[in-house]
Amino acid sequence: MVLRSYLKEIRLQKGLTQESLAGVIGVTRQTIIAIEKGKFVPSVKLALELAKALGQPLEQVFWLEASQEDRS
Amino acid sequence: MTGMSLYYLSRAVISAAFGLLFVLTGSPWWVAALIGVIAFAFFLWAPHSGRYAVHPELGVTALRRDERTQGINDRSARNAFIVTMLAVAGATLYFGRYTPAVVPVSFFNYLLILGVLTYYLSDFLQRRLA
Repeated sequence: MVLRSYLKEIRLQKGLTQESLAGVIGVTRQTIIAIEKGKFVPSVKLALELAKALGQPLEQVFWLEASQEDRS
Repeated sequence: MTGMSLYYLSRAVISAAFGLLFVLTGSPWWVAALIGVIAFAFFLWAPHSGRYAVHPELGVTALRRDERTQGINDRSARNAFIVTMLAVAGATLYFGRYTPAVVPVSFFNYLLILGVLTYYLSDFLQRRLA
């Protein structure tokens, strides 16, 4: 299973920059970039903080998707 | 004093102390001054480097790693430790086999440099690739 997210889409909808979102939850801008690109899987705590900062339920921001190995 | 002022003030003091350390160990004053300026330049750059999450409300300890950068730091330190220990093991075998009891002191400096380089290379690659 791989973690997917609508982080970038929701962030842009809210008119937030990567830097401002990073500032709200106290992480680096590079961490926001890495999560948006799917290169870093955040902890449950950070995922919840992101969802809260964006005013969305967690499952609206992140979800699990079957990977290639899971399908085969 | 609010915001980042405490951070910058504390780093100016640390940079000056670092320069003073070089004076006390016999370095020329201009070398000590240069070292102090370079150290302070690093502290000025650090909040803008993207390597740390900035928390101005924490004052002196305003720069913190977040969970991703802490993970990168931990893996880099682990890699540096493993590479250094393997190099020590290899050196022990080499010197034990060919030149017992003649281990040049400078060799340990090279081991230290190898460990530091491994740390920064690992850190760099993880930041670029991950």
